[in-house]
Amino acid sequence: MLVLDRVGKTYANGVHALGGVSLTVALGEIVAVIGGSGCGKSTLLRAIGGLDAPSAGAILLDGERVTAPHEKIGIIFQEPRLLPWLKVADNVGFGLGERPKRERAQRVAAALERVGLADKAAMWPRELSGGQAQRVAIARALVPRPEVLLLDEPFSALDAFTRADLQDHLLDLWADAKPTLLLVTHDVEEAIVLADRIMVMRPRPGRIFDEIAVELPRPRDRQSAAFDFAKRRVLTALDRSLDRSLDRATTGATDEPKAEAGAALWW
Amino acid sequence: MTIAAEANPTRARALSNRWTRPALGLIVPVAAALAWEFIVRMGWASGRLAPPPSVIFATFVDLARSGDLQRNTLVTLTRVAAGFGIGVATATVLGAAAGYSPLVRRLLDPSLQALRAIPSIAWVPLFILWLGIFEASKVTLIAVGVFFPVYLGLMGAIQSVDRKLVEVGRAFRLSDIGMVRRILLPAVLPAYVIALRSGLGLGWMFVVAAELMGASEGLGYLLIDGQQLGKPAEIVTAIVAFAIVGKSTDWLIALAAAPFLRWEDVVRQE
Repeated sequence: MLVLDRVGKTYANGVHALGGVSLTVALGEIVAVIGGSGCGKSTLLRAIGGLDAPSAGAILLDGERVTAPHEKIGIIFQEPRLLPWLKVADNVGFGLGERPKRERAQRVAAALERVGLADKAAMWPRELSGGQAQRVAIARALVPRPEVLLLDEPFSALDAFTRADLQDHLLDLWADAKPTLLLVTHDVEEAIVLADRIMVMRPRPGRIFDEIAVELPRPRDRQSAAFDFAKRRVLTALDRSLDRSLDRATTGATDEPKAEAGAALWW
Repeated sequence: MTIAAEANPTRARALSNRWTRPALGLIVPVAAALAWEFIVRMGWASGRLAPPPSVIFATFVDLARSGDLQRNTLVTLTRVAAGFGIGVATATVLGAAAGYSPLVRRLLDPSLQALRAIPSIAWVPLFILWLGIFEASKVTLIAVGVFFPVYLGLMGAIQSVDRKLVEVGRAFRLSDIGMVRRILLPAVLPAYVIALRSGLGLGWMFVVAAELMGASEGLGYLLIDGQQLGKPAEIVTAIVAFAIVGKSTDWLIALAAAPFLRWEDVVRQE
């Protein structure tokens, strides 16, 4: 179980990126965090990944405090971030450093087989397409068998077809070992296709504004009416999360009016 | 056009390009050499100060047969190797430290940049005072010449390592040593090899300077000897030897590094 207890982050330059986020994610659950740019969703993910230390609150994985990258937490970035000097197979096995060679080779081969890139094992990363590279990155993150997998807008750099394909593929892979998935995205459809729960965040400072449970059976039909309905709910919540008048009503703060025009264009 | 070329025009063109392109570059120097040879043979010029190719070739063969050429080349090569070794070792240690640690960089880099602004040949009198006129001062001068491009290249390369790839290393919980070995080293290697090659180029430049300033053997000595005894063919022979050995050592570095740089995403020439 992953527990966030009032996690806050203020950067050295005084930017208050995260203002006390509390969240409990059960093992095997898929949670999407969605929100406009600057709402601190990436900051939150990096804190859980142990890449940036939060300045307030605590992150607990199975009761253990996370302060540095944890062996049970894997992360997939927006870009594949493959190491260009390693062949595809060595990239996939990158996180298996200290294991015996034979076990490594077996697990790498199995993972590549699973993401459908067994024939690309001996290639250089530069020879892969964007979608293939991101699949290798997914394999690399899954090979050490993490309990929690963090995904930071993992498909946002891909074209629509590849994106939909990889979303389905990710669900397939998830079904193998059912790790916890925590996904940051700005794509409403992606959140609904993948997640059990969608946390809508609001900016300045970033905090959770609304929580929407998605109770559609899997696999989810992107064309169904129920899907459309869920989409509208999330969009409404997002719109409201960016409504500046709410800020004034709750905190009495006076915000710069020019941000209101920008709020409608958050995507 | 042959039948084979017609059957496979692209391959034929690639093949002909492979041979005609370098050949194209040879036309001008070969024509100039032949013209000069012809002019001297016809007696239109004496060729005493600018010997024709045949004389240069004969001198080259003579010097090689007497062993003078090999001995002097070996002496020069030894000096460059020693200076290059010392320069690269120092530059690698300091460049790595300055690239890795901001503290070391703030401490050392300003002084080294100030020293870099001095033309290295200006050190010669001081080196001779300190180290004498024999090998030590020559090797030191070469080492100084090699040091700066390698130092700068390595420091810059370490500083410009992709932060995103370093983060991958952190996410997979690499130790400091693991980070250096598995991320920094391979990331830095291409720029380091280029730095080594430009360092070596400067090493060859400085060995000439050092030997011109006083040596009893070495290719630079052949240059001076040829000048003082009025033997231009000997000078040209030494120059040709410099070109051959310099290019070969550069090629050796490139060759040794090639297996480690195969991953590079570069536009390769056909």
